[in-house]
Amino acid sequence: MYRQLMNEQELQTDQHLAAEKARYQQMALTLDRRSFGIQVKTADPKTALVVWRNSFDLVGALSLMPDDMPMLPQTREFPILTGGPDKLHILTGGLVMTRYGPVLIATRTDQLATLIDRFVNAAITALMLTIVLTLALGYLFSKAILRRLVQYNRLSRRIERGEYSTRFPVSWRQDEFDMLASKFNRVLDTLENNLAAVRGATDNIAHDLRTPLSHLRIGLEQLPDKSCEELPEACAILTEKLDHCLATFDAMLSLTRIEEGQQTLELQELSLKLLCEDLFEMAEAMAEMNQQTLSVTTGTDVKLTGDKYLLFQALFNLVDNAIKYAGEGAYIEIVQQGREIQIRDNGPGIPSEAKDRVFERLVRLDPSRHNQGTGLGLSLVKAILARHDARVKLMDNEPGLIVSITF
Amino acid sequence: MKILLVEDDATTIEYVVKGFMEQGHNIETASDGHQGLLLATSMKYDLVILDRMLPQLDGLKLLAALRATGSQTPVLILSALSHVDERVKGLRAGGDDYMTKPFAFSELLVRAEKLMQRGFSQPADTELSVGNLVMELLTRKVTLDGTELMLQPKEFQLLKYLMEHPNQVISRTLLFEAVWDYHFDPRTNVIDVHIAKLRRKFEELGFGELIETVRGAGYRLRQGH
Repeated sequence: MYRQLMNEQELQTDQHLAAEKARYQQMALTLDRRSFGIQVKTADPKTALVVWRNSFDLVGALSLMPDDMPMLPQTREFPILTGGPDKLHILTGGLVMTRYGPVLIATRTDQLATLIDRFVNAAITALMLTIVLTLALGYLFSKAILRRLVQYNRLSRRIERGEYSTRFPVSWRQDEFDMLASKFNRVLDTLENNLAAVRGATDNIAHDLRTPLSHLRIGLEQLPDKSCEELPEACAILTEKLDHCLATFDAMLSLTRIEEGQQTLELQELSLKLLCEDLFEMAEAMAEMNQQTLSVTTGTDVKLTGDKYLLFQALFNLVDNAIKYAGEGAYIEIVQQGREIQIRDNGPGIPSEAKDRVFERLVRLDPSRHNQGTGLGLSLVKAILARHDARVKLMDNEPGLIVSITF
Repeated sequence: MKILLVEDDATTIEYVVKGFMEQGHNIETASDGHQGLLLATSMKYDLVILDRMLPQLDGLKLLAALRATGSQTPVLILSALSHVDERVKGLRAGGDDYMTKPFAFSELLVRAEKLMQRGFSQPADTELSVGNLVMELLTRKVTLDGTELMLQPKEFQLLKYLMEHPNQVISRTLLFEAVWDYHFDPRTNVIDVHIAKLRRKFEELGFGELIETVRGAGYRLRQGH
């Protein structure tokens, strides 16, 4: 706006001076030297201040003619002293060449200058006020943000130290910071859960390996006292215990590899029917040993692509579990129909509240853990089946358990 | 028989060398991949036992280089990597057998001897006999002290494997591999159950002690009596 105003004013001045220039050029052409001098002398100072330098002195409203004045339409501002109350005036003007010599035509631009000054002052004041206000508000605002950031920083440091229960505060404002904070809180929830799971698993592994390892230690300590005849037997027992530890390690590693998808599957076409028949063949004698009856019933065959060895291992594990836990005299069935394989038994089954837990790592429903096993079998089963996009469901056989696998 | 062992772990070297020497085999060692490849390509061996992870030249790369020279020498891979896919990788690279560490020497011996015999085309035996136990392979007839035994197919296969290695301790893993086409450590008593059934049939004829359980190792078929 300021610029527009300025331009407007300057344009007016320029037009005014241009009109005066034309008038004086005209007068110089039509009037004689004396009449021209009178015209200059009596020029209305409100329209324009005119000075004519004739051969002797200056004629006109101004008592001096500054040097280096440009020719109109170029103009220049110049100060001039007068006797009036406003002693210093700013004039804008330029020279016009006439046949009687140079004539300076100027106009007062004090008002304009004052206006500009006032305007600039007002603008500066407004600007200052705005700046101060902005700074004040910004200060308050940034102080609030800074306070939150400092708080976040402090909380982060607590998390870094291992206080994983720490959460970032979320205010009612629901601004970007709150969104960020609640997102971080969700990440922390997941992290805390995972850490708890890992800690639980590690504790369990430690417990699982600690027992056989401490037995090993005791056994080794006692070895020197053994007689020569006892030595081979004692060593063999220790070797068995050690092998059990190694098997647990191997199972852990395999499980992790399969769960994380690091293990490459040996894909080949396999028949679910044949797989079940092989299962039966391998497990039959084991069931027989427990006075159990194992049977296999196969229906429409389905061929699919998968890792035959891993799948067999998983299914065998389930049958093996049925044989182990269904008890003496139980009846165990392997039933295949289309894409579904069921392993049914009429043993004690699994209480429904424990059905989700059995697939977790190192969970054994029998707390005494007296059954020889790594406690990883079912987790491995779940991981292998998941890699084959198969669904596992535990159902009640009333009495007993049905494990249903659908490919 | 001349064996080359490429292995960098001193304890394993000592264990394996001692075992093969006691069995009357001639065994040489190389402790890194380059030396191993140099020896394997410049000398004639009946078997190369190769560690999977070696300094300088990885076991599988060594194997690939050896096979690239056209060498047909049987190679048994020893590895601390027990995963099924590692085994497959090893066999694909040209290995003839794969064993995971830690291992029992008895099992290594059985596997090594099996690979070394492969080079010699023996006339196929039609009959196996260990003491008073006789197995006719063509008719699948088994007699113990002159009395015929009725065996299930799996029992027959297990007994055949034991009779092929009399007086040797055979691990459950070996028996498992011999009888079933699935490679995994079942961690169950599936082998024990079949052996127990076999043993019961022997007991009926008064020879229950013929199959001996070796704790922590496996089973042994006794030659005696």
